[in-house]
Amino acid sequence: MLTATNLSICYGPRKALDGFNIALAPGEIRALIGPNGSGKSTALQGMAGLVKPEAGAVTIDGAPMSVMTRREIAHRLSFLPQQPTAPDEMTVEQLVRQGRFAHVGLFRRYRREDEDAIAWALESTGLAPLAERPLSALSGGERQRAWISAALAQEAKVLLLDEPTTFLDIGYQIEVLDLVHRLSRERGVTVVMAIHDLNQAMSIADRITLMEKGRVVFDGTSDALAESGLIEQVFRVEGRFVQIAPDGPPHFDVHLKRWSGKRGFESAKHAPAS
Amino acid sequence: MTVTASATPRRAPRPAFLLPLLFVLALASLALAIFLGVVDLDPSDTLAALTGHGSPEARAIILDIRLPRIFTGMLAGIHFALAGLLLQSITRNPLADPSLMGVSQGAMLAVSGFLVLSVYSHDTGSTTLQELPVQWLPLIGTFGGLAAGGFIYLIAFRRDLGPLRITLCGIAVGAVLHAIGIGLMAGWGSGRLEVLLEWFSGSLYARGWQHALFLLPFTVAGLAVLPIIRRPLELLRFDATVARSFGLSYRVQFSVVLLVACALAASAVGVIGPVVFVGLIVPHMARSLARQQTRIVLPLTIALGAIVMTLADLAGRLTGGAEEIPIGVVTAICGVPLLVALLRKTP
Repeated sequence: MLTATNLSICYGPRKALDGFNIALAPGEIRALIGPNGSGKSTALQGMAGLVKPEAGAVTIDGAPMSVMTRREIAHRLSFLPQQPTAPDEMTVEQLVRQGRFAHVGLFRRYRREDEDAIAWALESTGLAPLAERPLSALSGGERQRAWISAALAQEAKVLLLDEPTTFLDIGYQIEVLDLVHRLSRERGVTVVMAIHDLNQAMSIADRITLMEKGRVVFDGTSDALAESGLIEQVFRVEGRFVQIAPDGPPHFDVHLKRWSGKRGFESAKHAPAS
Repeated sequence: MTVTASATPRRAPRPAFLLPLLFVLALASLALAIFLGVVDLDPSDTLAALTGHGSPEARAIILDIRLPRIFTGMLAGIHFALAGLLLQSITRNPLADPSLMGVSQGAMLAVSGFLVLSVYSHDTGSTTLQELPVQWLPLIGTFGGLAAGGFIYLIAFRRDLGPLRITLCGIAVGAVLHAIGIGLMAGWGSGRLEVLLEWFSGSLYARGWQHALFLLPFTVAGLAVLPIIRRPLELLRFDATVARSFGLSYRVQFSVVLLVACALAASAVGVIGPVVFVGLIVPHMARSLARQQTRIVLPLTIALGAIVMTLADLAGRLTGGAEEIPIGVVTAICGVPLLVALLRKTP
């Protein structure tokens, strides 16, 4: 499967990723969490072979990624960046079709297996009825599903998702997470996703990687994360972990510091108009 | 909810007869361009000339003047249109055309520089284009255009080769080249200015078989590469990150497409001068006709490029009388309302 050892990536003088290590088991779901700017996206791009690392290496199925062509990588791994853009007039089906490029290459015709993969990708994201719609006519959730569908058509064993639920309402968020879970369990796809919602991360992921300032500060299960006390420290918040269902994942309850001074809402209401 | 829209799906219509229709249209415009002209020839005389008979006068007009001019125009039209489509795709900029990559300006500077040099190295009094070594202009222009495109490519390539970077470099370098070219013209003196003006506005006047033959290898090579770059061209319309994730070698394919576009544009500019709007408008026409049938955008662009160029030149020849209107002027005048119409159609 995918492993990254001692991966370091620099953007100019800034070290965005510093000695990043990860080893994924086949079919596992890994959540990548951490504050803004902690290097989650950089780690994903490094794992996808999109940025040349300063040091360290990524291997996939035991082979070093640095010597692979883009098509060889795309055979094994698909990556969905944050907020991808597509040409306006492109339809859902045309977008999903691009996912087959790794297989068909420059010249080969689309065979039965390609059409089947496209149909399956559309079907499993529930987009088959919208296949002929242009992307510009879709809602945010539908568009995100279309992109996931394109990544699925690639039929890679590893799927990297950079904040796939950001900007979606809660309904679509759960829809995307359910889809990810089903892929991992039904098709054995290994998933790594950067995600901001801690509770969603803990409920869907088999393991969690917590990052801070380009370094991995925790790598383990949700329960171990709850016991580590790192969340409060890394995110600079106060809260506590609660167990809602007996054998369910832990739930992090944040403590909001409510302003209790006199110049609150009440006093603002009676303030003289200036 | 847009239930009604999905209940009556707007299927892309009639792609089946769109291409044959354009083919017929291309033949029709070819025929029109052959039969119509400043010199009124009897249609039967024209037909006879085409088959090698007829009066010597008709043969000279048809075989030596009209036909080579039409073919040169068609080839150049294909060049401009294709170059525009390629550049618009890879820069993801719907307003891209050959002048964006500094190709037109580079060709312009090379041609004006060459003419200045040749005037001052020859004797004085060469005030007409015919007395100057005009047979070299296509080659010089092509070289200048390619050099400008290559220079822009290099300075964009040193850092990260992105569409925005290359667009900005193209605009900056193009402006400098244009300024130097204009400076040369202004410093050259008014008497010799006219010589360049005709070329600068883009003209098919007095273009012969040698010009069509000059363009042909570029056309053949460009069309031969199309099947190879067809799929990359679609992927290049995405972000680099997305395209690479789909398995595209972005830098290689970007460079190949850019090279093809520059070679097509530079050779066409070299032969007939910078004809504006064809490279900009024709890809948009093709896209709007093809709707979602992206597969036929390429062939549509090729066909429309040839048709638009032929008809525009015919219009320039007929309306101007003996003093014909250069094709660059015709395309500019007709291009603006067409662009507005297309913009209004796009949601």
